[in-house]
Amino acid sequence: MRMVLFTVITYLVYLFVKKVYGKTNLPFFHPLLLTPLLLIALISFGHVSANKYLDATKWLTHMLGPATVAFAVPIYKHLPIIKKYFGTIMISITSGTLVAILSTFGLSKLIHLNVAFITSILPRSITTPIAIEVSKDIGGLPALTTVFVILTGIMGGVIGPSVLKWLSIRTPIAKGLALGMAAHGAGTNKAMEYGEQEATFSSLAMIFAAWITFIWGVVLIPPLMHFHSFF
Amino acid sequence: MKLGILVIQVLGIHVFLFLGAAVKKVVPLPIPASMFGLCLLFLALYFHIIKLEWVEKGANWLMAELLLFFIPSAVGIVNYDEIISVQGAEIVGLIGISTIIVVGMTALIAEMITRMKGSGQQ
Repeated sequence: MRMVLFTVITYLVYLFVKKVYGKTNLPFFHPLLLTPLLLIALISFGHVSANKYLDATKWLTHMLGPATVAFAVPIYKHLPIIKKYFGTIMISITSGTLVAILSTFGLSKLIHLNVAFITSILPRSITTPIAIEVSKDIGGLPALTTVFVILTGIMGGVIGPSVLKWLSIRTPIAKGLALGMAAHGAGTNKAMEYGEQEATFSSLAMIFAAWITFIWGVVLIPPLMHFHSFF
Repeated sequence: MKLGILVIQVLGIHVFLFLGAAVKKVVPLPIPASMFGLCLLFLALYFHIIKLEWVEKGANWLMAELLLFFIPSAVGIVNYDEIISVQGAEIVGLIGISTIIVVGMTALIAEMITRMKGSGQQ
């Protein structure tokens, strides 16, 4: 069974990279960066087409659905924290999503991306299943959006901690919110290395960012794209 | 058996995904099934329809292994090599710069609000 074989290989490579990353903590060994590179090398070495691999492992991608549902558990467990910090979370994430969309839009204009690319890249900082939905809604290409979400996750996991260090961010709430906001699940995964509080705020940031970006997808992005057509 | 409990709990969480898909059919909003599922699971926990222990282990596993579920999509980037060869470096640069800005701004705003509220409350 190809499905079992490719899943087992993927899991073993992932476990191996995770272990190496845990020991060395070098950004280049980040699981989201090194695992795909090793797998690409393996499948091209074994003359397997990428599409065959993708078809056999698509159930892993499907697990992003239940993984998104699972975030109900930290929301439920941390309800008192949400109530206490609701204002901070809302202001930070509303600004964060706005900065994410506007900076991405501005930079896309700067490098002259075409319209399909711009609409695909705008929702890049939120979790895949929701980014895809926003992308479809504003006229982007879901497959392309997935690529940009992944690249964002890699960047967030690799650069995020350095940015927090440069700015000498101290509070767990700021560290967690920033990582979850900027780099969805990958950021939250990084936040788990800092501690329980950071991880909590990061998962909350990820969920709030998804919801708020949804709203921006309706009220902000269409006028933005309209404005884009004037150039 | 630990693995058995994990599998059952993950399947249980799947049920909420399916319920979410059912809600999506009825509600005419462009919200993904998984988000409806998240709300339903939250409500079920909140109103004590289900116990936290019934889903906690499965949920923790799903969240801890989130990166694994991204791997096939990341491998799928090879299908976009023509984009990557034309504007790839620029796009990677764009995402890098924007990510730095987003991490920085969000962290500074959250830190500022927390300081303003007074450090004694932490």
